[in-house]
Amino acid sequence: MSIIQRSQQWGTFARIWHLYDAKWQDPYLSAERIKMYLMGLYKPIYHPLNDCGDHVVVINSYDIALRGDEWRRRAYFHHTGYHGGASWTMAWEVHKKNPTMIMNKAVYKSMKGNLQRRYSMQRLHIFKDENVPENIMQNISNQIKQLRPVPLRLDEIPPQEVAEFPKLVKYPENYIAQ
Amino acid sequence: MVFQSLMLLARNKGPDEFWRKRKIFRIAAHFIGRRRNCYSIAIRNVHRALVYSSKGRALKKADMRALWETRLHAASEEHGISRYILHEGLMRSNILLNRKTLMDLAVWEPRTFKALSIIALARTKQDGLNSVQHLDMPDGIITRGMLK
Repeated sequence: MSIIQRSQQWGTFARIWHLYDAKWQDPYLSAERIKMYLMGLYKPIYHPLNDCGDHVVVINSYDIALRGDEWRRRAYFHHTGYHGGASWTMAWEVHKKNPTMIMNKAVYKSMKGNLQRRYSMQRLHIFKDENVPENIMQNISNQIKQLRPVPLRLDEIPPQEVAEFPKLVKYPENYIAQ
Repeated sequence: MVFQSLMLLARNKGPDEFWRKRKIFRIAAHFIGRRRNCYSIAIRNVHRALVYSSKGRALKKADMRALWETRLHAASEEHGISRYILHEGLMRSNILLNRKTLMDLAVWEPRTFKALSIIALARTKQDGLNSVQHLDMPDGIITRGMLK
């Protein structure tokens, strides 16, 4: 095997580390995309028996966005195994306790329940903010595209730009906005 | 075998018991325990195994097809088009390659596959398919529609 083919082989089967910024992203839809990278489904050499899954580092999991009023509606079930040990925790409560848990569970549930799932999950690294350890950060070589752009909030726009924005309607002095 | 009367046909028991059973035991040779040594158990398991293998022949084809489609999805997404656009574009360009061939090209001849995906995109763009409206027309593709 020539040195070119050897490096080609290495390049094809090397594990890649991807970065995903979960800020303002739906965790359940993001999970479908992250899953593709964790299982290696985005590679043309994919095979269920070949070990071609990559690492994914998810940052800003604290800032995920659930749809509608799902923070209050979505319940996470847990059972201790004892009688009366069932408990249902609302999404906002789970997120308050552990900001990485909703993302973690979303990715776990997006994958089919087989022997490979636990090993794929070991390649997922979730962080609640942008503080990622240096030894992980130095591996990263690719960024996964976000599902949708993060919208700019009005209070993040500089006040001068807001003041200079052309006005369509000039309200009278004594007008009270509701 | 020639039977001179119906009577003789009825009396004929077929091949010798030993050879009849041996055929079954040969098939059951790799089973474990009594399933390979006791005839009445072996025959049941041989029947079951043969049914599995018949069904398996169809399942194997379906599994391979699913694998090709998964890989083609990955390969065409790499070049920014969906698998359906790839198939549609190639069919419209009269490039009649099946899933297996396309997958082989994607794995072993990535540049050839890239050229094919560009052709597929250009053809679908030229035919005005809605799902490729947001994509740019690739450069360096000359089609019959352009020549006129």
